[in-house]
This record gives sequence, structure tokens and C-alpha cells, in this order.
Amino acid sequence: MGKVKIKKKETRIDMTAMSDVTVLLLTFFMLTSTFLQKEPVTVITPPSVSEEKVPDANLVSVLLSPEGRVFLEITGSKDSTFKSETVRADLIKNMQSLYNAAHPSNPVKLTMKQVETFSKLNAFGVPMSKMAQWLDMPTDERDKALEKAGIPINMNEDPNNLNEFQMWIRAAYNSVNPELQETMVKGKGIAIKADQTTPYSVASMVMDNLQTMKMNKFSLMTALKSEEE
Amino acid sequence: MAKTKSRQKKFDTRIDFTPMVDMNMLLITFFMLCTTMIKSQTLQIALPTNEKVEKEQQNKVKQSEAVTIIIDGKVDENGLSKPDDGTLYYFDGMPPSGEELKNLATSNPMKQIEFGNKTGGALPAVREILRERNKAVVEKIEVLKKDWKDQKFSKNEETNDSIYLAKAKEIRNDSTLKRPVVIIKATPNASYAHVVSILDEMQINNISRYQIDRINAVDSAMMVLLQGEALKK
Repeated sequence: MGKVKIKKKETRIDMTAMSDVTVLLLTFFMLTSTFLQKEPVTVITPPSVSEEKVPDANLVSVLLSPEGRVFLEITGSKDSTFKSETVRADLIKNMQSLYNAAHPSNPVKLTMKQVETFSKLNAFGVPMSKMAQWLDMPTDERDKALEKAGIPINMNEDPNNLNEFQMWIRAAYNSVNPELQETMVKGKGIAIKADQTTPYSVASMVMDNLQTMKMNKFSLMTALKSEEE
Repeated sequence: MAKTKSRQKKFDTRIDFTPMVDMNMLLITFFMLCTTMIKSQTLQIALPTNEKVEKEQQNKVKQSEAVTIIIDGKVDENGLSKPDDGTLYYFDGMPPSGEELKNLATSNPMKQIEFGNKTGGALPAVREILRERNKAVVEKIEVLKKDWKDQKFSKNEETNDSIYLAKAKEIRNDSTLKRPVVIIKATPNASYAHVVSILDEMQINNISRYQIDRINAVDSAMMVLLQGEALKK
């Protein structure tokens, strides 16, 4: 009688193909990803049918939290001629001189190190008088302080006597990057990013502030509407 | 003689890829969670200048063309406005003035639409109203849209799109057609989402002339009167 030979099956699976697929996916994600920027408040923008995309360069976005706090974000040009860091460093210097001209009694003086710290921050929004102190904080404390702060803003229709928010916009307008100035004039350089629950009175105040500075064109950031018509 | 033939040990050339796959999966998960795939959309807005305009130039809007929409929201106990609750008010023509103001209580031109406690609750009604006012343009655009879908302008998809967009813009700005001028106003209680959804309706209904304005005393008077009437009933 012949012995029945049971064929031993190999239990190991060849993972090479699997590995190929994962590497491919990984490459795809690495190349297409733009990292989520850290924002002081989470904002859920209202939906709209508009298909125009937000430009990813030369943009000043005004972040409005539901409580009515105002924050600013600024990005540089697409190529590396005016990096975000360069634009931001220039912005804070512009802002400093604008602020000190308006408040000669208690001027703000920032060190080189503070300017460098500022240039690396994506979003900002503390009163100028507390800027130096804020920049000296360690990172986690700085984020916490930012959440509770916000750029001072009020109803102001006098273009010769700007409030702090308007000074920031003016400083951005006069920055080293001529492309930013161009997009701001066209209305694509300023975007208002407000939460659904932000009271309209806050958004309207920001719009009025911009209008006072003769910036009548700007864009409102929205999310894609989920339901199709 | 001793055996000199040394047996070369045969190495297994297959490498186990399992840890590699594990690591890759982990990295993919990381990248997937950290990326923003969907970019935000924008609505372009142009506000009128703040400078004082001559009186004659100001009242150019024809009575029959104007529609005023007023958005009123509700605020919760924390002072945050609720995006899914509120009331819309609208009236046709110019705001009442002079003699008409005295008879406001009996002949209030304003009507209201409730939001009905859900997002976009009032929007179908608003869309209906705006579509009715902008009928001439909407009908023409619909014909154009059909041609665009059938690729009548060009077989090339891109040229087809650009011709369609140019023609649509022409129709929207055609002054021979009867087109409404929509004036959007919002009370301080309105939320940002309300205003954006109304602005969005302008896009949906192909309305080219609209503006955002501040609420005035006549508007609030009409709103108060209307609310009073509703309470009586």
C-alpha cells in the first residue's frame, strides 16, 4: 500500500505586491498633501454653490470665530521669490512703524528674534501692545493665549485714523510682495473666513472696515454644498 | 583524503515584506489624516464705495425692479446666532416714504418667510420668489444650458465651456431684459451662514445686480408692524 503523501502548503504569503501598492499610495499622498495649517479656532464655513477655488498663494485671510474674535493669516507667493516667512517678517515691521506712528506715547519695540518667531507663525491675532510678550512665550502657551485674544477692531469710518485691524491690512498691502498688493486690489487677495454661527454683525463690521480703506472687493470662503441641485 | 568539498549553504533569497507593509500602512494613515484634500470655495463680493454719491445717481433703481430681502436670525443663550433658525422678510419696490409711511400699519408691503427650524428651510421659497422676478434671464440661461450639454457650441469640451460661460454672462448683464435688483439687509442677530446662503441664491438664480446694505429705521418699523400683526392672529 502506498503512503498518501499530504502536500504541505506554504503558509507564508508573498507580501511584495502588497508592498508595491502601499508604496505607490504613500507616494501619492506625500506628493499631493498640503498639511493642515494650525488655526487658533476651528471654523466651519457655510456652504455655497460657488466653484471658484481659494487661491493658495498671495492671500490674506481674516478668520472670524463664532465669538467674534478676529485673526489674520498671510501667505506668500507661489514660487519662492516672496516666501511666507519673508512677507510676514516685512509685515510685522510695517505694522510696527504704523502702530508706533499712531501711538507715539507707548511704542512697541520688537527684537530680531521676535520678528523671526513671528515670521514662522501661520495665524496671529493679539493686540499690538501685547505682541512682544506673546512672541516670547513658549509654543503651547502662545497657542493658548492666542485663542483668547483677537485683533482689536471697532467701527471706524475715518481712513486717516485707522484701527488696529485696518493697520494690519494696510501693512499687508504695503508689504514687499507686489503680487499680494495686486491680488488685494482685484479682490482675490482678501478672504473672509467666518464660521456659520458667527453673527453677521461681526462680518459686517470687518467688511465696513475694509470698505473704509477703499477695499471694496473681497471674497468669502465657503465650503462645497453637499446636496446637488 | 578528507572531503574538501564544502557545502555552500543555500540562502533563502525571499525577504519577508510584512514589516515593510506595516510601516507603509502606518505612514499612509498619517498622511491621509493630515492632508486637506478639499479646498475651500470662495464667493466674490464687491461692495459699493463709501464715498457720498450724488442724490440723482443714488435712486437709479427702478421701482418695479427692486426687491429687498431682510434676514433676521435668532440668538441662543450664549449669544451665538443659530444658522438654522430665523425669519426672512421681503418686499418689492422702493421702501415706503412720505405719505405711505403714515399708512404703513394698514398697507404693509412686507411679507415674511419662516426658516422652520432647519438649515435652508426658507431657501426654496426665496428661490421661487427670485426665480419669478428674474424669469426672463433664467429662461434664456436654461436654453443655453441645454445647448451646452449637447455640446452645440463646440465639440471640444473646453471651448464649449468657455463659450457657454461668456454667453451666460452676456445674458445676465443684458439690460434689455427685465432683471431685478436685490438689496440684501441683515439684522445684527442674523448669522453669517444666513447671509452667505442668500448670496448663494443670487448665483443660483443668475441675478447679476445685488448689493448688501445696512438696515434702516423704515425697515425695522415694517418688521415690528409685521410681527405685531402675526401676534394678533
